[in-house]
Amino acid sequence: MSVKKRISGCVATANAVKLADVDVICPYPIRPYTGIMSELARMVADGELDAEFIHGEGEHGQLSVVYGASAAGARAFTGSSGVGVTYAMEVYSPISGERLPVQMAIADRTLDPPGDFGSEQTDALCCRDQGWIQGWASTPQEALDITLMYYRIGEDPRVLLPQYACQDGYFVSHILGEVEIPDAAQVKEFLPPYKNHHVLDTRNPQIIGAQMEPKMGPGMQYQRYQAMESARKVIEEVHDDFARIFGRQYSPWVEEYMTDDAEVVIFMQGGHAQTCKTVVKRLRNMGEKVGVVRLRTFRPFPTQQVRDALSKFKAVGVVDNSVNFGISGGAGVLLSEARTALYGLGDKVKTLGFVAGLGGEMITHEEFYKMFSKLKEVAKTGKTDKENFWLPFEL
Amino acid sequence: MTVHFSKVPFAGTVPSPQTENEGMITGNWRTRRPILDADKCTDCQICWISCPDSCVNLSTANSSLTFNLKYCKGCGICNEVCPVGAISLVPELDFED
Repeated sequence: MSVKKRISGCVATANAVKLADVDVICPYPIRPYTGIMSELARMVADGELDAEFIHGEGEHGQLSVVYGASAAGARAFTGSSGVGVTYAMEVYSPISGERLPVQMAIADRTLDPPGDFGSEQTDALCCRDQGWIQGWASTPQEALDITLMYYRIGEDPRVLLPQYACQDGYFVSHILGEVEIPDAAQVKEFLPPYKNHHVLDTRNPQIIGAQMEPKMGPGMQYQRYQAMESARKVIEEVHDDFARIFGRQYSPWVEEYMTDDAEVVIFMQGGHAQTCKTVVKRLRNMGEKVGVVRLRTFRPFPTQQVRDALSKFKAVGVVDNSVNFGISGGAGVLLSEARTALYGLGDKVKTLGFVAGLGGEMITHEEFYKMFSKLKEVAKTGKTDKENFWLPFEL
Repeated sequence: MTVHFSKVPFAGTVPSPQTENEGMITGNWRTRRPILDADKCTDCQICWISCPDSCVNLSTANSSLTFNLKYCKGCGICNEVCPVGAISLVPELDFED
């Protein structure tokens, strides 16, 4: 029987890891993600979960431990936040290159401009080019659900790629939400045991991570590209199967909220989208034609689905909760990727970039009202003197 | 020449070579070749222990110690560690092969 509890994103993720019956967990403390590991440590100590709990000596060590564990055939889990995520950067590409479906939870934390610890998606977005499946939860329930779904997607023989299961620090990781924790038997049906393609085994010695000559390089990269592309179909299948077994139907790519007949929408990902929905509901009550399109899967980026979704509107505001100094468009990664998806539609859909909620600040109702007001103006006049806005200073 | 992706082993994982790895011949990296002065060599085997690429073959009844030049990268550690100075490093361009 599934049970309903009021728990945080961290505890929800820990429950999913337990249900996924992982074999090896490798922690190293850094807030806010560390709440996941303290809950898992308790579960292991209390005998609720039978897993190796190996402390890394740092994040680089953590990722190296799960790399080896996964190669030896274990279902492995690790995680980090902020500068911890970037400290482990070297190990991400080898893990996806070795096609080991490790899972890493990231509860976002700003990178240091010294010493801020609030939520900001920059840490995980820095890792977007490493060949990992990646997406953001917006509620504790979704944090639990994507943990289970990502293991299933990553371990699919057509994919075999590691996954970053991301959630906004504090806004999702530490805020209590009602979470339905599924029954172990349901999870067993959904998530078959992990079978590695090639297992470290002394009876059948292999070189894993061998040095190769440059002439092998293009083929290796092309194989990884194919794996990421074939993940698209698997992601859709897994979401359908998840709905069948657990009764919660998510759109695999973009979640649309009040977008019927909408003229302007905000496009964004993560927990701040919940705030935006509240604002949209109020504006709808006042007769405004507004909506939210929330991106659920960031890698592989759903180019076609985003194009289909966003091409219906007159103006789209893309909210980036991350920094990328000097990027095309002058806002963040999401604006850049959304515009790429919309390429070919010409001037049909106006796009504005909003950088907001940096350093762990709230994106307030007030700020969303201002964004919608700007978008309405652009939709009406078709003109704007500026296309990128850093909040709260420029709007 | 680029190898077609269908010919590249999955994730680059290959069976562990029991002796030599034909997929990674490193002898052509070498700029200096180790040359043994067999008269000075005392067979202490320190070069054999120290070689990071296992490219030193121990002496046999019929032969003094030899080097596996198919894989020797020419790092020169054997020359550094030899207590009697029996191994010299000779520029590759001095050889015809």
